Amino acid sequence: MISKLAKHPINMIVIINTLAFLLLFFYRTPPNYQILFVGVSITILSVITYLAISFFNLGDRYLFIIASMLISIGVVMLCRLDYSMGIAQVGWYLISVCVFYAAYILYRYINIWRFLKWFYFGLSVFLYILTQVIGITINGAKNWIMIGSLSFQPSEIIKILFILFIAARLTGNNKKLFNLPENYTTALFSFVFMFFLILQREWGLTLLYFLTYFTLTYIYDDDKIFLLANALVTAAVGAIGSLTMHHIAIRIKTWRNPWEDISNTGYQITQSLFAIASGGFFGRGIGMGNPDFIPQANSDFIFSAICEEMGIFGGAAVILLYFIFVYRGIKIALLLPEGFDKCVALGISIMFAFQTFIIIGGVIKLIPLTGITMPFVSSGGSSLVTSFISLGILQAVSAGRRQANDQ
Amino acid sequence: MTNKRIIRTLVVLSFLFIMLIVYLTYFVVFQREAVMQSPYNKRLWAYEEDIERGTIKDRSGAVLAYSQEGKRIYEYGPLYCHVIGYNSKIYGKTMIESKFNNLLLGRGSVAEVFGIGGSGKSGYDLTLTIDHNLQSTAKSKLGSRHGSVVAINPKTGEVLALVNNPDFDPNDSVLAKKWTELTESKDSPLLPRATGGLYPPGSTFKIITAAAAIENGLDKEEYLDTGTVSIGGAAFDNYGKKANGRIDFKKAFALSSNYAFCTLGAKLTSPVLRQTAQRFGFDKTFDFDIDFTRSRFQAKDTDEAGSAALAIGQGETLATPFQMALTACAIANNGIIMKPYIVQRAEDKNGSIVYEKRPQQLYTAVSNDVAAKIKDLMVETVENGTGKNAKISTIKVAGKTGTAENELKGKEKNKDHAWFVCFAPAENPQIAVAVMLEYSGGSGGELCAPIARDIIRQYVKKRSGA
Repeated sequence: MISKLAKHPINMIVIINTLAFLLLFFYRTPPNYQILFVGVSITILSVITYLAISFFNLGDRYLFIIASMLISIGVVMLCRLDYSMGIAQVGWYLISVCVFYAAYILYRYINIWRFLKWFYFGLSVFLYILTQVIGITINGAKNWIMIGSLSFQPSEIIKILFILFIAARLTGNNKKLFNLPENYTTALFSFVFMFFLILQREWGLTLLYFLTYFTLTYIYDDDKIFLLANALVTAAVGAIGSLTMHHIAIRIKTWRNPWEDISNTGYQITQSLFAIASGGFFGRGIGMGNPDFIPQANSDFIFSAICEEMGIFGGAAVILLYFIFVYRGIKIALLLPEGFDKCVALGISIMFAFQTFIIIGGVIKLIPLTGITMPFVSSGGSSLVTSFISLGILQAVSAGRRQANDQ
Repeated sequence: MTNKRIIRTLVVLSFLFIMLIVYLTYFVVFQREAVMQSPYNKRLWAYEEDIERGTIKDRSGAVLAYSQEGKRIYEYGPLYCHVIGYNSKIYGKTMIESKFNNLLLGRGSVAEVFGIGGSGKSGYDLTLTIDHNLQSTAKSKLGSRHGSVVAINPKTGEVLALVNNPDFDPNDSVLAKKWTELTESKDSPLLPRATGGLYPPGSTFKIITAAAAIENGLDKEEYLDTGTVSIGGAAFDNYGKKANGRIDFKKAFALSSNYAFCTLGAKLTSPVLRQTAQRFGFDKTFDFDIDFTRSRFQAKDTDEAGSAALAIGQGETLATPFQMALTACAIANNGIIMKPYIVQRAEDKNGSIVYEKRPQQLYTAVSNDVAAKIKDLMVETVENGTGKNAKISTIKVAGKTGTAENELKGKEKNKDHAWFVCFAPAENPQIAVAVMLEYSGGSGGELCAPIARDIIRQYVKKRSGA
């Protein structure tokens, strides 16, 4: 019975959702019926989308399943922290699934994306400047725009524009600009993206953009000296930055010894470590821990909350889900012929991989902590919608182009 | 070409993901305990509110500390403040309450490491090696004088009594009321003198000097003790400048002749004395059931005069009463110091034992022969020497007195620290005792020896069923 159920991975989502939400429902007295509503809607959304993907043969069947498993874990954690956050997240999930279909259709049936590199760059710069002009400050960084009552983080959307831009530059024919070799102009424009992020003090995103750019350059550029130069320049800038910029120096110092200034700079990371330590191998059980002691447990630190209540076995499961996701994304890229689509698939997979590594590595103190969201799991619309646009594109790429590659 | 690089990238990314899992496992296996115990961990208090903290009992089952409705109650008030310590939400935990926190909360078994099983809502009960009657006697004998008493079973390392004056009441309500007073008082009642106070050991150090002398064949000499000896330009007096006349090594020890021992010290030199002292535990530390301060022998080597001072326990050498009790233990137990401990065992509410300490050797201080010779010297001290006040008609006591000059010398009169370390019965030692009275103004023989005598009498009589 169990083995039969496990044969179709979507059944596992149904089983896990049923168990987790029932647990959440019965744990609190009086029972909150909204929890059941949340559980049922998220399960239905996942199942329908999965069935659509397999019935209409919309490409890779596993990517979406992995994403919806991560969504489920995230929503369970959010509901446990605060019902209203969980419900909001389900709302965003609904929107994200629509966006996913839209991204899928737009990317698959309109074949203009590889020509639009200046549009990507221009739109990004416009969004950056807009953020600087009308943006508001949340958690010390001016990187949010309010549209009505909705807050929205342009730097999330720009992640996709960045990948599309780089992919177009690396795989298309480029006119010579400023009399520089092609790869140098690509580097120049990529660093413009990162420059704006530094202005917003988004160190985590800056690192993420750089790693994505660097890896793609490694794959597509035969000029080894250029790659080395990139690495050296960045290392030099990083070293100067860590010596001269208080913000970076403090993060490195906190990473090396958070206990020294525990009530101040070390507060976040030590609270995260307390949570993971108290969870141990198997966790304290959903609803049994104190993830509410962790600052930002709903967004950047949600991994620590998962570890506290589900244990590092749960945490390792989440890491492995991301790993399978990245593996499948890269496998899709490997099977594609050279071209824009291949590079986009790679870019998306690599960016997911590094984003996961940076935030999880940060909250477990493997690397210095830089706040970025955990894709599919952290609460927040911008992050979720962006992740699903990426997923939609990846899904479309995996389904292949209707008009055979016309390179 | 591209695909080859993509596969390399995949390998690097896999490595990153594996590193996350490996580090997470490493963290939980190796750092978890330390992180959990951080006093900044708000969860600790959250858990503790649900758990009834274990009871602490003495060796025969008398309840010393217990919890009732979330409050920690110390049955005997100040008596165990420097052994059990306190458990306070505001001021934290100290001593046994801190070091054995996990067991008291019912954590720390193997099952707990994996988060399975678990102990429910009550912690484990601790049984100490302390003898409550002996502890009370020691306290009443100290009276209002400032000082310490340490009593240890030299054959096992069980700590039988550990008392300090001044002390304080560790009950939470009293702590809250008196905290400022306690922290600011110049009597330092929060300082556990026996384990954390450093004092010049004075003539009790001659036990160690004697060991070095015997090992180096210097125990056959005779001295014409004139009461004062000049070594390297410095003059050293006997206690009260008393001249002992013609004496041999044994008499020199029994009468605590500085004349003889300063001469010996100059011959032995400071490196030899240091090396001997370190075998007794100076400059060393080990894992004990409560935190203690390392006793230290003077760090730098010195000339003849300096070595002479070191030989009689002056100079920059500092020892805790705990260390001097261990020094007596070494002689009592044929040269071997057993590892001291206070917590005998922990058991759950059903009576099954989850933690138990067994005697183990800590240091080999001297050989069996040397220990036997020093034992004779110490017996002579109590029979016919400075330690006569410790004599008991039915029990053969071995001891050494000490009267230590300190930083007040020359500023105020009669402010010497008085010492007495001993063990009994000499032929089959059951208890070793160190008594120290700080700034007492008297000699160890007259002030400390009677306290030690009463403690020994009570303990040995009880043991022999009298």
